Amino acid sequence: MTKKRTGVFVCHCGNNIAATVDVARVAKEMSAEETVVYSQDYVYMCSDPGQNAVIQAIKDNQLDSVVVSCCSPSLHEKTFRDNATRAGISGFTCEIANIREQCAWVHKDRDVGTEKAIKISRSAVRRAGRNQSLEPIAVPVTRRVMVIGGGIAGIQASLDMANAGLEVLLVEKQATLGGHMLQLSETFPTLDCSQCILSPKMVEVSRHPKITVMTYCEVQEVSGSVGNFKAKILKKPTFVDPEKCKICDDCTQVCPVVVPNEYELGLTARRAIYIPYAQAIPASYTLDEDACLGLNPIRCGKCKDVCEAEAINYDMRPETVVEEVGAIVVATGFDLYGQENLGEYGYGKVEDVLDGLQFERLCSASGATSGHVLRPSDHKVPKDVVFIQCAGSRDPAQHCAYCSKICCMYTAKHASLYKHHVPDGRAYVFYIDIRSGGKGYEEFVQRTMEEDGAIYLRGRVSKLYRHNDKIKVLGTDTLTGQNVEIDADMVVLALAMQPSKGTADAAKVLKIGRDKDGFLAEAHPKLKPVESVTAGIFLAGAAQGPKDIPETVAQAGAAAAKVIALLSQATLSHAPTVARVRRSHCTGCEMCVTACPYHAIRLENGKAVVNEVLCEGCGSCTATCLRAAIEVKNATQMQVFEMIEACLA
Amino acid sequence: MIDVQSIRDAARDLLAKGEVRAVIGYQRGSRGMLAEPVTITDPEQADELVWDATCFHNLALYLVEDRKALAHAQRTPNLPIAIVAKGCDARAIVVLMQEHYFKREDVYIIGVSCEGGGVLVEYKLARLLNGAQALSAVIDGAELVVTTLAGEVRLPASEVMADRCLECREPFPKEHNVVFGEDQTSRQLVAPFTALARFEALSEADRWAYWCRQFERCIRCFACRSVCPMCYCDECVVDSITFPVAPETTAEEKANRIRWIERSAVRSENITYHMTRAMHLAGRCIDCGECERVCPVNIPLRLLNNKMEREAREHFGYEPGASIGGPSLVASFRDDDPGQFIR
Amino acid sequence: MSEEEQAYEPKIVAFLCKWCSSAGSDLAGVSRIQYPANATPITVPCSGSISPLYILSAFNKGADGVLLSGCHIGDCHYIEGNYLARRKIYLIKELLEMVGVEPDRFRMSWVSAAEGAKYAQVVKDFVADLKPLGPQNKLKADRT
Repeated sequence: MTKKRTGVFVCHCGNNIAATVDVARVAKEMSAEETVVYSQDYVYMCSDPGQNAVIQAIKDNQLDSVVVSCCSPSLHEKTFRDNATRAGISGFTCEIANIREQCAWVHKDRDVGTEKAIKISRSAVRRAGRNQSLEPIAVPVTRRVMVIGGGIAGIQASLDMANAGLEVLLVEKQATLGGHMLQLSETFPTLDCSQCILSPKMVEVSRHPKITVMTYCEVQEVSGSVGNFKAKILKKPTFVDPEKCKICDDCTQVCPVVVPNEYELGLTARRAIYIPYAQAIPASYTLDEDACLGLNPIRCGKCKDVCEAEAINYDMRPETVVEEVGAIVVATGFDLYGQENLGEYGYGKVEDVLDGLQFERLCSASGATSGHVLRPSDHKVPKDVVFIQCAGSRDPAQHCAYCSKICCMYTAKHASLYKHHVPDGRAYVFYIDIRSGGKGYEEFVQRTMEEDGAIYLRGRVSKLYRHNDKIKVLGTDTLTGQNVEIDADMVVLALAMQPSKGTADAAKVLKIGRDKDGFLAEAHPKLKPVESVTAGIFLAGAAQGPKDIPETVAQAGAAAAKVIALLSQATLSHAPTVARVRRSHCTGCEMCVTACPYHAIRLENGKAVVNEVLCEGCGSCTATCLRAAIEVKNATQMQVFEMIEACLA
Repeated sequence: MIDVQSIRDAARDLLAKGEVRAVIGYQRGSRGMLAEPVTITDPEQADELVWDATCFHNLALYLVEDRKALAHAQRTPNLPIAIVAKGCDARAIVVLMQEHYFKREDVYIIGVSCEGGGVLVEYKLARLLNGAQALSAVIDGAELVVTTLAGEVRLPASEVMADRCLECREPFPKEHNVVFGEDQTSRQLVAPFTALARFEALSEADRWAYWCRQFERCIRCFACRSVCPMCYCDECVVDSITFPVAPETTAEEKANRIRWIERSAVRSENITYHMTRAMHLAGRCIDCGECERVCPVNIPLRLLNNKMEREAREHFGYEPGASIGGPSLVASFRDDDPGQFIR
Repeated sequence: MSEEEQAYEPKIVAFLCKWCSSAGSDLAGVSRIQYPANATPITVPCSGSISPLYILSAFNKGADGVLLSGCHIGDCHYIEGNYLARRKIYLIKELLEMVGVEPDRFRMSWVSAAEGAKYAQVVKDFVADLKPLGPQNKLKADRT
């Protein structure tokens, strides 16, 4: 192996580094290293003249590797690797020695700082001394996208991507698109009807030539990587052919089974064969296999008998399809924090204590009460309604530590809607703080208080219980310091938003991270808010964190834009710093195969073989292999060994 | 008690019918009463096989040697090789199969249960015999029957057995094609890991002082590695002298040999070698105790390997040699692995 | 602390995961949190890529302490590298203690990219714990 010719470039970063580190000394010490043939220091290495100096030095001195001692690689690694490429050598021969964030900025003593900077730089020189010239791996791209979740986030992302010419596969677990937004009555702060703004989009999705809607489907398995994912999707049988179904409703008339209607949150019942909403997309009925009296053998068969369109087919079976896509958008949404967790509010067992979504259904013209606010127990108009905010939110000791963000606004909306429906009723709102950041939001809350006359009480409800036909609500108004007791006809809890069950499932299937609360983790909290930690998988909507409709739509658009940018390339470049097998040392023990999180290694003729496209270069294999037979290129055991030596010299 | 004739019959049968190409077993050794490993290919040799309390060797090593010889000769035999395997040996064979060193169908396991006994330790026996010369030693129930020139002596087996046999958790070879002797897994002469627990009760300073004494003696003869069926690597990562240069070995690979430790047999290097070995055996060592038996300077190497085995068992629910198809200890994890040590 | 302890500066090798702890140490820098300069960082792709041999080698080459830092459980950029690390590192930690190496010479932490202050504190604590122990000679290569 011929000796490397490394160049070292030490940056002053103005005074940022130079104040603590004797940069000239670092450059001088590095020139004594065996592989270093050129070294210099410069005031701003990342400036134009600085970058040109690097390029010139590479050319003039026939350098084959570069170390830049400067700031964190997260800032300028790309800059200097590009410079190396521009100068005609592989960008992957360039290493960054972080002597700013990890040294100059955290130490004051000049001698100590300089010593450490020398160690860090020497360590990088040793690493660079064994770097291979690598070129990015080109990966062909499948120009299709899968969107998981057919709520507003998934719908918006699908439309944006399809309009840009991408083929979209929209997978929804439920029998209809729409998600939670379809359950809402009106939306804040404009009070426009939720269905009226959503259903045109649903229709657009269903008619879009570039979008394939797959309702009643679940993603079971995803393999592959950015540009080339393979998704195994389970199509659950609906037992009704949507092409033939005329939505005449004859089947529900004869179906003898009655079960709670989940779309009405249990406020009404439905039959075993049902259509979730009149506006459901696809416009077809679904036979709920679990509720049906029996399909195998057929116990009842009435719906099929009555169906003139012959749309009902009891022989439908679950079916699995495999789809190839280049990118995935996860828009699996939220669920409400379960009332059963809230002991202080009766564990969901007190009659007429509703959650926010149930109240939406009470207000909705398409809901069980045709838009009249009637309490579920006796269908009387409730005259005293208590709204409780932060039910389960902002309570790190017992429930969710985070703020669910939208409850202040939707509670104001609820109070306002209630007052519009029942002008002589009294709306009480218990709150901790009012968080109404957003365009027109604060004004909306003020209107609810001032014009609609909702009574806002700052404090928590300590207890509520059924007392005759009333609900006794005990709380404190912390502003007056007085205990409050209200005999309410109805109570509405603004339950915390939590990641939906589907979100947990999707994270597992896609192997993408979740945060401490179970929401999907973004790749960077500020700079990569719609990217998951896995390349090619993007996040949209409440699955990533509590958010309202405008924010969800914006994030869905952002995710779509990222996908469009990604898939606009003919090929993707994959980092070449992937695992490589030393065949002479491999015994085929399979430990690396087991350890690899990406299933990128397989055994072939008794030796490990790496799929370079799947490998992400994490090095789990290296640490697991007993015989150093598999290593990540440019992060080899030899390199680490020499870096350890450099750190301790 | 196993009748040795049944093992001989089985071996003879397998060879005579051409079901196996050889049988790895024990024969009476040249050193008096002690057994030694033998590979027989002729049915007539079957009568030379022995089975007694001196069958210490983990014969799995010879499966490894066989595999290496075949690879070197570039031969793929169409018959399996048979092996006489005790409980520990069978576990070793399972680990080797788990690591695909050979396939299940390549090996015919003639299991022998240690029943209530195990193998003896020469110095323990010599001490009890007070100078009398033993001609043979067979375990019968809880007793060791020793034939000496002066006649038969019966000794409590537990007083002459190897420590690892006293602590054995699986004296019955679960993985086998045929097996002799009863499954007496539930016998418990000494609780497993007793010696380890006793050692761990020492203070940190005493532990260090102890290992200093041990590792200052190590001459790095690598007998521990040579006798270990799990140390089948062609090149030992911490001793690059074993580096194999194959036709496919690249110049870069030759250049990239890491000297993790120095060759000199000084304490620091010795201890690093033995700790690396213990880490590499974690989840793989099946406690046959051969490393300790062959050590010419009597370093209690079982302690290190036992430590890894107990941690794996207690904290990861992992038993080396329990399953051919299961994942390896360090290539897998459980969500509730201990993590309290992490800040 | 005695004067001798004060004057002694332990040498630490810190293996940091590129995605979390190395980024966390960057944040400590950006926040100008001061901490002792004893720990020289080696950035690795993932805590799961750290071979137990690295740790033994660092001690063998004279490190007074070895620090490993990765992503919190559930946060691994590579999905499960830190789970694999946790198991392996637990074993090597137990082995070091078994042999009689002071437990305070080896430390593992989870430090996220957002925990700059935590990284600084981990280093501060480690240095403070190492000072009373003095130089590490147990595993340090004897080249005499």
